[in-house]
Amino acid sequence: MLINTGIATQELIKKLIPSPERRARGPYAMVECFQEIPCNPCSTSCPFGAILPMKDINDIPTIDLDRCTGCGICAGVCPGLAIFIIDESKGDGTATVTIPYEFRPLPEKGETVRAVNRQGNIIGDGVVTRILASKKTKTPLITVQIPAELVYEVRFLNLIDDKSNSEEPSSTYQSVVTDDLSSKVLDTVEIDDTAGTENDEDEIIICRCEGLTLGVIRDLIREGYTTVDEIKRISRAGMGPCQARTCGPLIASEIARMTGQPIAEIQPSAHRPPVKPLPIEFFLGGDSE
Amino acid sequence: MMYEIDLAVIGGGPAGLMAANTAAEAGAKVLLLERDGHLGGQLVKQTHKFFGSEEQHASMRGNDISTMLGDRLGSFGERVTVWKSATVIGFYEDGVITIDHNGIYKKVKPMRVVVATGASEKFLSFPNNDLPGIYGAGAVQTMMNVYGIRPGQRVLMIGAGNIGLIVSYQLLQAGVSVAAIVEGLPHIGGYAVHASKVRRAGVPILTSHTIVRADGAESVESATIAEIDRGWNVIQRTMKTIACDVICISVGLTPLAELLWQAGCKMRYIPSLGGSVPLRNDCLETTVKGVFIAGDVSGIEEASAAMVEGRLAGLEAAASLGFKSERYCEERNDCMEQLAALRSGPTAEKIRSGLACAECR
Amino acid sequence: MGDRRITNHPILQFSEGEIIHFTFDGKPMEGREGDTIASALHANGVKVLGYHFMTKRPRGFYCAIGNCSSCLMIVNGKSNVRTCTAPLKSGMIVETQYDRGVPDDV
Repeated sequence: MLINTGIATQELIKKLIPSPERRARGPYAMVECFQEIPCNPCSTSCPFGAILPMKDINDIPTIDLDRCTGCGICAGVCPGLAIFIIDESKGDGTATVTIPYEFRPLPEKGETVRAVNRQGNIIGDGVVTRILASKKTKTPLITVQIPAELVYEVRFLNLIDDKSNSEEPSSTYQSVVTDDLSSKVLDTVEIDDTAGTENDEDEIIICRCEGLTLGVIRDLIREGYTTVDEIKRISRAGMGPCQARTCGPLIASEIARMTGQPIAEIQPSAHRPPVKPLPIEFFLGGDSE
Repeated sequence: MMYEIDLAVIGGGPAGLMAANTAAEAGAKVLLLERDGHLGGQLVKQTHKFFGSEEQHASMRGNDISTMLGDRLGSFGERVTVWKSATVIGFYEDGVITIDHNGIYKKVKPMRVVVATGASEKFLSFPNNDLPGIYGAGAVQTMMNVYGIRPGQRVLMIGAGNIGLIVSYQLLQAGVSVAAIVEGLPHIGGYAVHASKVRRAGVPILTSHTIVRADGAESVESATIAEIDRGWNVIQRTMKTIACDVICISVGLTPLAELLWQAGCKMRYIPSLGGSVPLRNDCLETTVKGVFIAGDVSGIEEASAAMVEGRLAGLEAAASLGFKSERYCEERNDCMEQLAALRSGPTAEKIRSGLACAECR
Repeated sequence: MGDRRITNHPILQFSEGEIIHFTFDGKPMEGREGDTIASALHANGVKVLGYHFMTKRPRGFYCAIGNCSSCLMIVNGKSNVRTCTAPLKSGMIVETQYDRGVPDDV
């Protein structure tokens, strides 16, 4: 599912594929926006009215492919970088996909790049045929020629990592991730996880300023200090330089967990000026303007 | 000496900038107080194009919106005073606010106040959570997008809400690799389009996973993660250790409401809005008369909503002082409609239910 | 360590600010105009800014915007300077803080 993985399913993609006639006729936009979110620049930017006006700003974009010319304006403005321009009209076994690509360095025209799918896997090679770098949107649109059968798969590109004359590391992530997240992929090691966790937990630092651990806070709650203010007064938790901004919510939720009170009913500690520690001389100085 | 002014706006982020602009346009004398040395708040770190519609500058990048709103403020001349490096340190019941302005103690008594202090980042408890190299998502953005410094070489991101997804993407843009994004919920919390952007760049998103511990001698060298069940219990034999030099915590924001507590505003803990928020009426006025709110301090939302709230609060604060143009009703309705639209979709369901609990008459 | 400064970014342009010289625990270091003390240290690969006065655990910044106060250091002899927001200045003597800090002029 898209909301579990971030990868659009084949089902969702299939719904966007136009008729064979439209595909043969020329470039068109594929709007891979499947979630109702408050966003409409695609529809307001289209000079041909091809992305239909939205009744509600949360509407999923609807495209009239008879009006769409594949100009790519929507792909440049889409904040979600979810619009791709597909051109299958050449009919020679190749097709092009235009990808919004906000990374550096940019590839050059004619350069061979790795064609990457929605999962981040390299599935072939492509050749860059056009680079449209708009100063206004700052979202370059890179057109890549690829085998026609990959045109609904390729949605990203990796530079071939051999331009090592530049000192800057390539900003594209070196894609080594497969879909099943095996431990090898994550560069991980298996560890013994049967060791006790309760003791570990007691060592967690809750109040960074005063160096107080979760174990200390738990002991205090067990002893009957069950408000944030009581714990503050007995232990100094929240009285350090950060003034409970870091530990306050953590202490409140631990009180809630241990006493069974709803968190909404746990009062935060009293807030008094000044909101940050200041030297006494500051207050003596004052404003003599 | 005590400064007197029509309206003080506390916070120069998206909400505060809009409030100051709108109130000044209506004719009020405004003092804008910003803790940082520059205006824009979190906008300056938002290098992605904004969602929403044209009215909220959709498709513009946050850092450009910040410049635009800051420039507009300059057009009001003496009507607007901006104090940068000015932290409001106290808000007293008699309406006086005290300020640390570049190390000088100042007092201001404004007729109206818009509190637009934003939010602070939530922290997470796990063993060694205090190791250097464990940073809040905002800190990572600050390092990269304000100072131009890579926070590390390989980052493990905790949290797949919009901020976690966007910051992961920004890390890739800065040339930093992202080992994985770990999310406790069984689904991705942020927009699917943001998730797809990082996913196709090769970053795994591990839902129903949590961080178990961090390790390292002086700073982070690795993190251990594990799968969790619906009750957030770690499932045995699913632990994995990931090599990384940065762990980025992006588990949500909580309203930075301490000044509202001090002012005596009635507060309510509303989890879907991020924590304790002030009760407010439909003019964004709190239970303390003359104190208005806008942006994340009123409940955690997107910056587009913060800008509209800022405009509404600025409009209402100015109107309550008699600065009311003939377009007042039209502008007010426009704000209401924009907010309703931004909050109407299924992704905003939590915000709608939260706000319903924060209303007062 | 390699340079941690971003020079080629798809969206942002970072102006190459003037070089600012400072020392960290006696070692000469370079920062750039516009840096905070903490950002300059980070660019030099320094993540540990201090040690907790009691637990002796290493400390680095967490929020980088002046909220968490995990970045306190000794700057020009003055303790408890929030280095994540304090601008870097030429000739600063920056030192790791190991205690709660002592008032100056004592």
